[in-house]
Amino acid sequence: MLGLSLALFGAALAAALAGIGSAIGIGVAGGAAAGVMTEDPNKFGSCLILQALPGTQGIYGLLIAFFVLNKLGLLGGAGAVDLTWNQGLQILASCLPIAVVGWYSAIWQGKTSAASIQMISKKPEAMGKAIILPAMVETYAVLALLTSILMLMGVQVG
Amino acid sequence: MSYIYAVSRLRGMENHILDSAFFSRLIDSAGIDEALKALGETSYSQWLTGSANFDKAIDSEILATCEELEKFVPDKELLTIFRLPYDFHNVKVLLKGLFKVRGGDTEGRRYDLLSKLGTIDTEELTNAIETEEYGFLPYGLTDVIPQCWQLWDSTKNAQAVELLLDHQMFKAMLNVAESLKMPDVIQWVKFKIDAENLRSAVRLARMKYDSSKALPFFHDGGTIRADDMARLLNEPQETWSRILSYTDIGSVLGALNEQSDMKAALSDVSKALDDYLMKVLERAKYSMDSPANVLLYLLTKEAEARNMRVALVCVAGGLDREFGRRLLK
Repeated sequence: MLGLSLALFGAALAAALAGIGSAIGIGVAGGAAAGVMTEDPNKFGSCLILQALPGTQGIYGLLIAFFVLNKLGLLGGAGAVDLTWNQGLQILASCLPIAVVGWYSAIWQGKTSAASIQMISKKPEAMGKAIILPAMVETYAVLALLTSILMLMGVQVG
Repeated sequence: MSYIYAVSRLRGMENHILDSAFFSRLIDSAGIDEALKALGETSYSQWLTGSANFDKAIDSEILATCEELEKFVPDKELLTIFRLPYDFHNVKVLLKGLFKVRGGDTEGRRYDLLSKLGTIDTEELTNAIETEEYGFLPYGLTDVIPQCWQLWDSTKNAQAVELLLDHQMFKAMLNVAESLKMPDVIQWVKFKIDAENLRSAVRLARMKYDSSKALPFFHDGGTIRADDMARLLNEPQETWSRILSYTDIGSVLGALNEQSDMKAALSDVSKALDDYLMKVLERAKYSMDSPANVLLYLLTKEAEARNMRVALVCVAGGLDREFGRRLLK
């Protein structure tokens, strides 16, 4: 049972920490978007795209949580597989990259998005560049997602 | 408190700041009517009710900006730092008026010179000063106004009274900035005190003022101590930039030396110091949530209003356009 608990704790961390990071990041970018749109409501479309960017980490965390639940047999009603504490710990470790990197990267991506929103408020023609800047932060969230997936695939259960 | 919303909104508002091309067009207007027509496309138009009162319209625009910012800037004290000099200007106007009245000039009061941009309501301030009930006045005015009266009674020197009020104004500005605990803002206020002291030093040097009696002309609180400023007067002006090279503001004098040496007109020094103070704040432009952006916006708006006044006075008075253009910032 300890193994299953550790594995579920990992899934919970992946979904929760990455989700918290995304919520903060979107909040930060949303504050900037609201400020810009108060003066120019026509920028809603551009602001929305930039505000949504830090939301992906939350999705990555959820994806890893699903992977873990699937691996544990908790989806589809087949019943949970037996796990040793060592296997549970391996699954928990696999969840940490996206949990930690997702959390931090979403917050910083939110800040970069906010700066980009301020940029398009003055230079709407620079929308392309404004998207690239926060997207650079995304790279590290994607790398963490890949790491978590590869680690999870390497854990032998059942 | 987060400034992301406030700074983002200011970024949007900055798009409406009038640029040099507009002022150039304004100053080239054939007459005041054409100039006011050009103003019709701007936010100033809502305050214009005729060609005679553009001065009031400009003040109204700045006041409306302050009131708008008060709605969304988390720390109202930032606006106080901007508005505080207008309070002290009003106190000076009222006191000088009363000095004249006491001297027998019954028409001495100049209520028309009062600015509504101060934080203290002009009517309340007028009542407080005329009835000598200073108890509710903020920024140390409760204590400094009686001192002004004492000084006036003993010296009859209006300039000394102004200086006393200026000392208190900078002290109050620094107190407000320090209460905010915002390093950029505190630094800017200190640099502003340095700039004012340097302006005084240049002025005193031109008058060949005795450096041993110059200390009262300098304000405390800047990055350069007041007595160091007074000692500058013992040195040739050409060496000031080297003496002050350990400070940021020393570079302003350095630039002046390169361009037009220290014999440059006081207005050149003044302009360079104003530009320097703006540059200090402009560093905040690279931050998405620096509170100093609020001050930067207000000062930019104030500079815009000043340019507007210069351009309109130039057009209305039929003054030389090139002269007016040189006065634009």
